[in-house]
Amino acid sequence: MSLIDFSKSEITFKVVYYGPAMSGKTTNLSWIFRTIPEKVKGQFTSIATETERTLFFDFLPVELGTVKGFKIRLSLYTVPGQELYKLTRKSVLKSVDGIVFVADSNRDRREDNIKNLEDMVKNLADYELPDTPIIYQLNKRDTTPIMPVSELIDDLQLKGKPVYLGIASSGVSVMECLKGITREVVSKI
Amino acid sequence: MEGQLSSLVITKEDIETIDELFSQYLVDSQAKDIILLNKSGELLAKSGMVTRDSAIAVSALAAGVFSATNELAKLLGEREFTLTFHQGKETNIHISLVDPLVLLAVIFDNKAPIGAIRFWAKKISGSIKPVLEKMAAGPRQEPSQDLRKGLQDEIDNLF
Repeated sequence: MSLIDFSKSEITFKVVYYGPAMSGKTTNLSWIFRTIPEKVKGQFTSIATETERTLFFDFLPVELGTVKGFKIRLSLYTVPGQELYKLTRKSVLKSVDGIVFVADSNRDRREDNIKNLEDMVKNLADYELPDTPIIYQLNKRDTTPIMPVSELIDDLQLKGKPVYLGIASSGVSVMECLKGITREVVSKI
Repeated sequence: MEGQLSSLVITKEDIETIDELFSQYLVDSQAKDIILLNKSGELLAKSGMVTRDSAIAVSALAAGVFSATNELAKLLGEREFTLTFHQGKETNIHISLVDPLVLLAVIFDNKAPIGAIRFWAKKISGSIKPVLEKMAAGPRQEPSQDLRKGLQDEIDNLF
């Protein structure tokens, strides 16, 4: 649910990076944090285990700039991808405005991608948010054994949907995905 | 199933009323900070010394804590827990449900006894509730067509 604050002339959108464990959701946020200028980013908050796996969520507030006198802000979240944190994933998705689904291109993670996408669709249906804008990042395009893009698109039924090919660890398509989902969420206001 | 609005709108008048209430309660209760947030973790209003950046992070985390606590409630057969409290050496935080969508976080130093913290959190919550009800019932201020069009046209320039 976007927040329109007329007292401060601000609009805030909630964007969640969703996807299976180790697909690169936190890596996307870390890249954004390193890339954007100091003055437009807030505190990067990460609740991780000792081995740096996301336990609860990562959170990064970003101020994009001003349009017609209104500051546009994004609250970026990731979810924990591991199966065990199913309920946490659902709670982070509450009142979401847009989703970047980060899929892992490694063939060994094929089932995890499918299961996680099904889990996301179910959660959105439970929250009565089936029309939430979603873009898809097929991440780790430098991995082996790699799945061809066409196979991933078939598996996840992404034909005709916005798909980006990414290597988040070196920034490939990270900002493009952020821009893509921002364009989608502002169109819903 | 949990239906949701597409956006939450706060007007200048709403914020002025909330700010006035919070300023008075900061003096009366001797709380360090009062933060109003929604269940999805967005900061709605804040009062006290806390910086805006910190209040934004506190809001995201407080909503997360509250949400996790409520999953715990469900597992234990409760519909929901309406408050959660964390006690530290120097600082305490009390997070409670004001209405189905809004949470109140009140931060105290270690001088305040637990009873007083609970008393003030309940009192502030009781005062803010009618304001939120009025916000929900009042005429909704909508973003102008000019703003909507500007967002569509200019979003690319922000990156």
